[in-house]
Amino acid sequence: MTTRSTPERLDEAVENLLAGERPAVDAELRPLTRVADLLADVLRPMPPGPRFEADLGRRLAVDGGRRRLTHGRLLAAGALSSAAVGVTVTAWAMWRSSRRAPALSHRLLQR
Amino acid sequence: MTRRAERAPATPTDERDADLPAVRAAQADPAAFDVLYRRYLDRVYGYAFYALGDHHDAEDATERTFLAALAALPSFRDEGASFRAWLFRIARNTVSNARRTRWRRRTEPMPDGFDRPAPDADPAGLVARAEETRRVLRALAELPDERRQVVILRFVDGLSSREIGEVLDRSPGAARVLLHRALRDLEARLRP
Repeated sequence: MTTRSTPERLDEAVENLLAGERPAVDAELRPLTRVADLLADVLRPMPPGPRFEADLGRRLAVDGGRRRLTHGRLLAAGALSSAAVGVTVTAWAMWRSSRRAPALSHRLLQR
Repeated sequence: MTRRAERAPATPTDERDADLPAVRAAQADPAAFDVLYRRYLDRVYGYAFYALGDHHDAEDATERTFLAALAALPSFRDEGASFRAWLFRIARNTVSNARRTRWRRRTEPMPDGFDRPAPDADPAGLVARAEETRRVLRALAELPDERRQVVILRFVDGLSSREIGEVLDRSPGAARVLLHRALRDLEARLRP
């Protein structure tokens, strides 16, 4: 049978305490859960001021918008360059075939 | 007791799953980052506030954390670490940088009761509570950095041992040992 270590038992007791329960602990852990209880009481959630919240929210929205724009521009640039490559390859192929066609007919005529 | 249950609960598995859709949405469209910002603003600010002990420094660290998170979000991958742990890792680095900068400026604020309104209306209760808060915060400020971080992440932000381990680059077992040592240390410091 495995026995759980003191840190493991303490961790579980703290979790229960933070969930609003009063954990039953042995004498070894009691002083530590008392401190945990005190900490849970003193270290209250601390929300920032509403002005700061709004300002940072706006800043993140602007920053996010800029990133979306950059992403969109990258896509557009990618599409444009692909189209340019396609046009160039097609033009080159047409030029090659136009040069090859007279040469071929010339050879056939000579036979 | 009800208030305690309302604070950020340590829900190691559900919390991770709950964040992933919002993370995916924000990766596809940065405008959707707002959901994660609203969800974590109080916790990141609380972490920075208790770690730095000053409202202005905490605001600065919070702002840097969220801007860095937004910039790095495309590189976030669901490979073991939760988004919450990933975000607090950024916050931890930001807070460490702020502490280093402050050390260079040598302007360490004294931990006191902060300017937080206490819920007690009774003047004697207010005084006693303020004194108790001061004592606890002073003892917390005197802890070695990692132990202090563990206490704040556990009690203010409700992170589980697994998540604290991810933030501090330790195993969950090592995070539990750190918490044990931190509470033992605090108990000795707070003993009358």
